[in-house]
Amino acid sequence: METLIDTETRTFIQVTEYWVPEDGKLKLAGGNYGDLEGFASASGQTSFEKGEGLPGRAWAEARPVVFKSLTAPEFLRADAAKAAGLTSAVAVPLFDGETLKSVLVVLCSDSEERIGAIESWRADDGLLMLDDGYYGAARHFEFVSQHTHFPTGQGLPGGVFAAMTPILMRDLGASYAFVRAESAGRAGLTTGLGLPIPVPTGAPYVLTLLSARGTPIARRFEIWDARDAKVGKANEAELIDGICARDGPLWTAEGDPPRRVAAWQGLIGRVLGTGLPVVEKGAAGIPGGYDSMVAVPIHSKGELSHIVAWYS
Amino acid sequence: MKKLVVIGAGMASGRVLEHLTDADPDAYEITLFNAETRGNYNRIMLSPVLSGEKTYAEIVTHDSDWYAARNVDCRFGEQIVGIDRETKTVMGEHGPVPYDKLIIATGSAPFIIPVPGKDLPGVISYRDLDDTNAMIEASAKGGNAVVIGGGLLGLEAAAGLALRGMSVTVVHLNGHLMERQLDEAAGYLLRKDLEAKGISVRTQATTRAIIGDGRAEAVLLEGDETLPADLVVMAVGIRPETRLATDAGLEVARGIEVNAQMQTSDSDIYAVGECVEFDGNLFGLVAPLYDQAKVLAHALLDEADAFVVKDVATKLKVTGCDLFSAGDFAEGEGREDIVFRDPARGIYKRLVIEGDKLVGAVMYGDTADGTWFFGLIKDETEIDDMRETLIFGPAFQGGDTADPLSAVAALPRDAEVCGCNGICKGTITDAIANGATDLAAIRATTKASASCGTCTGLVEQVLQVTLGDEFVLPTAQPVCGCCDLTHEDVRRLIKSQELKSQEAVWQELGWKTRNGCHVCRPAINFYLLADWPVEYRDDPQSRFVNERKHANIQKDGTFSVVPRMWGGITNPDELRAIADAADKYNVPTVKVTGGQRIDLLGVKGEDLPAIWADLNKAGMVSGHAYSKGLRTVKTCVGTDHCRFGTQDSTGLGIKLEQVLWGSWTPHKVKLGVSGCPRNCAESTCKDVGIICVDSGYQIGVAGAAGMDLMETQRLCDVATEQEAIDVTVAFVQLYRENAKYLDRTYKWVAKVGLDWVQERIADPAERARLIAAFELSQSIYRKDPWAEHAQTQAAQYQPLADLTLEAAE
Repeated sequence: METLIDTETRTFIQVTEYWVPEDGKLKLAGGNYGDLEGFASASGQTSFEKGEGLPGRAWAEARPVVFKSLTAPEFLRADAAKAAGLTSAVAVPLFDGETLKSVLVVLCSDSEERIGAIESWRADDGLLMLDDGYYGAARHFEFVSQHTHFPTGQGLPGGVFAAMTPILMRDLGASYAFVRAESAGRAGLTTGLGLPIPVPTGAPYVLTLLSARGTPIARRFEIWDARDAKVGKANEAELIDGICARDGPLWTAEGDPPRRVAAWQGLIGRVLGTGLPVVEKGAAGIPGGYDSMVAVPIHSKGELSHIVAWYS
Repeated sequence: MKKLVVIGAGMASGRVLEHLTDADPDAYEITLFNAETRGNYNRIMLSPVLSGEKTYAEIVTHDSDWYAARNVDCRFGEQIVGIDRETKTVMGEHGPVPYDKLIIATGSAPFIIPVPGKDLPGVISYRDLDDTNAMIEASAKGGNAVVIGGGLLGLEAAAGLALRGMSVTVVHLNGHLMERQLDEAAGYLLRKDLEAKGISVRTQATTRAIIGDGRAEAVLLEGDETLPADLVVMAVGIRPETRLATDAGLEVARGIEVNAQMQTSDSDIYAVGECVEFDGNLFGLVAPLYDQAKVLAHALLDEADAFVVKDVATKLKVTGCDLFSAGDFAEGEGREDIVFRDPARGIYKRLVIEGDKLVGAVMYGDTADGTWFFGLIKDETEIDDMRETLIFGPAFQGGDTADPLSAVAALPRDAEVCGCNGICKGTITDAIANGATDLAAIRATTKASASCGTCTGLVEQVLQVTLGDEFVLPTAQPVCGCCDLTHEDVRRLIKSQELKSQEAVWQELGWKTRNGCHVCRPAINFYLLADWPVEYRDDPQSRFVNERKHANIQKDGTFSVVPRMWGGITNPDELRAIADAADKYNVPTVKVTGGQRIDLLGVKGEDLPAIWADLNKAGMVSGHAYSKGLRTVKTCVGTDHCRFGTQDSTGLGIKLEQVLWGSWTPHKVKLGVSGCPRNCAESTCKDVGIICVDSGYQIGVAGAAGMDLMETQRLCDVATEQEAIDVTVAFVQLYRENAKYLDRTYKWVAKVGLDWVQERIADPAERARLIAAFELSQSIYRKDPWAEHAQTQAAQYQPLADLTLEAAE
């Protein structure tokens, strides 16, 4: 029997796409544009030099870049974005050592109902400071975040930075560090996914995706560990944490066999095999009840160390 | 129904209830007491709840629905006043409950160090969800936390509190952290990692007092140093909670003493989990508790079982700290260490070897091989052979592997996967996207892999690439639904257990049906007669209709009759006999076959014995055109007539057919002998195809010209005719002994490899054995079934009643 897909109609992110360097330019390698066909087509016809447009800047500056308005000339696809109702975007460069593997771009449209947060934190003398962020309508939370810093090991950004591991926080309202907890709770932010974004120079950035119930970034999150230190020489990844609105917790209890995939085995396996993100809609291999997925590889210390995936 | 009372709803007793109610839901009427106001949850996952990485809801093992479904009367939050062993009653706060059997599973209590200030508000032990919630609440205000105890529990608490935004200091009495599980080197790396998380660590630090005015404010250490503390977590250890047992007069040492059936000194009272002591051991990790639970459930059901103490492995649940330790890694006489360090990556591994066995392993930073090492310790594997490379783990022992699926992933959509039906990869992935998520569904919707099946592996790989770990690669297929064994297993067991009858197979191999089904019976019948030709008698009821009738049934219900013509040679007498038979029995069609025989088509079933008898009189026997056995040996005319012939191909063909005829094989077997490489007998697409050359005979095998067109592969070249016959017989016997029923020779050779076949045939002793075994079998089966049936079983070919006659009267 086919599983019913009960996708939320209002999601925080409208468009996800990724760009890969080819002949010195960033070219579109995949994306999920929903029904925004005009913007999809404009994207397919665009490429970016290093430093050009949003993805090009993320590459050149080697850090996540947030555009809170999508206007020319900074944003090359401004007309198409306007026609599609897209108003903000975040570009995340994914490096493997010195080499840029891809740039992940998410685009959102502002409205009073859309609550969520995509933040980039940078380490500064043992403290994590907000580099930039997009919060939709969660303005109070944005204000609080701008005036917050986390010591290494504390809160979601500090925890991710200290462990160099993606971390999934379940109940942000109660647990996202005492400073921001109250405001996060008020904004309806429930689940937080933090991932390290290593860059060629300096300390890694930490990207956090905070998801609210009404306009979730996703309803299923997974973290896969692909380090040699975890899975040995086999090119495999093991699911170490995850939460799903349909299936509940996805981690395996002690004593139960771990869930593993090999390179090329399914969509996570494709990330392992290619070292590139996967952005798919309606593809086979997406868990029952979900329609689209984004899976992002993290390259750290010379290996593909983790994969984080979210589904909606 | 007997009454079971359980005191304590922890992980051990929870597992007992699972086993018990799964095995026999009606065995006991169960009452479950718990001091906490909730049922069983996964206590070892409290640390992630503390850190915010999990929620309590995620770690609940048994919710109220679970208890309700098993009719467990839950009395949660109720204290036990006492146990009256005389009247076999548990006295609860809200009333007594009688028992036939009682389980004490009171777990453990945190050890509180007896220092001044230990009872101040703000001092919390770390044992259950209430403690965890108290810590979460305390951490919401931020500030400083001091964790006393640098063991597993203390460090998990410290990491959780840090993630929650507290400044945390760990105070530990010993020289290095987790001294019971780690050596100094690993303890050092762990400390370094924790300090990188902002956690301060004080080792060799003794707590003198907890000070504060009305609530905890600081921890005073030996040496008069004070550490500010808004929260103090006491995590120095646990001790078995034995008060109830002691009060009831049970034998208690450090824990409640139990025997290997988890029985206390009172035979109706059992104890399980952290509260017990067995053979001088106490238990704190979950694996032995689960073993105990299983044993106890068996004891309650009067089933024999015994608890044994096994090694356990330790892991720390602090995100970003990878450590593993197992076994005994203390230094000692006769012990040797193998150590590997990679300072840049923060990796340390140490193996402790005693004699030729691995006895302990400590790993920090890279724990990928932990489970493998743990297995070597538990199984006491001799490691002499891999000592040099042991520390590099199992991947090094077996060599590295490439990604086997990458080639399939790289196939374009229009790449053909199933040649029989012309199905390309895109069609299959589309079908998967539309819900065909296993092989059977792919076959049904696309026909891919539905014909010859040689592409099955490829189709399965496409499923793996597309679906990921949602698709479970089927392990070896059982013969049929009647059993769980593969053909290969059944063959092996028939030989090794000397199973010589169908009944023996059904019984000894655990058949789930009384006497098999239409799928397994023909296979088992063949395996038995091939392996035990003398002891086992062929069972016609386990054969397909064609083999039962010794003729091929046609679509109109009539049969075809094909007499054997040795090597395709015939003579005027035989041809006359065939012509007479065709006339006599009104045979509508007479056809020359591709295998150089004459086929009489359209013979009525009841005429079969008579036509066979007539053909027998002319010296002709069954051509076995219907059997999984030797069919035909096709020949060319060879040196007798042909200008190019190099050897007597016809003569060899006749000899081969006279040796091989009547034998049963896993599938049909066709032979060809060509007198020269021009190959007029088309020998290169036969199961055994011989090409005569000036120097002798080239023997090819594993050819076919059916659903698959397969060219023969060269088995060997021989010089003499007798050798050619010997090699052919040996090959057929090897096929008979090893192949899966209904695998043609080309499928079998593809599975075992031509090299393996060549080795066996080339070995003189093995070749002689194969020939002798074949001859023994042929002493039973080299006979004409037509003659036998025409003489003794003609009656069974007659219609049951002649209804036409009856109607006329």
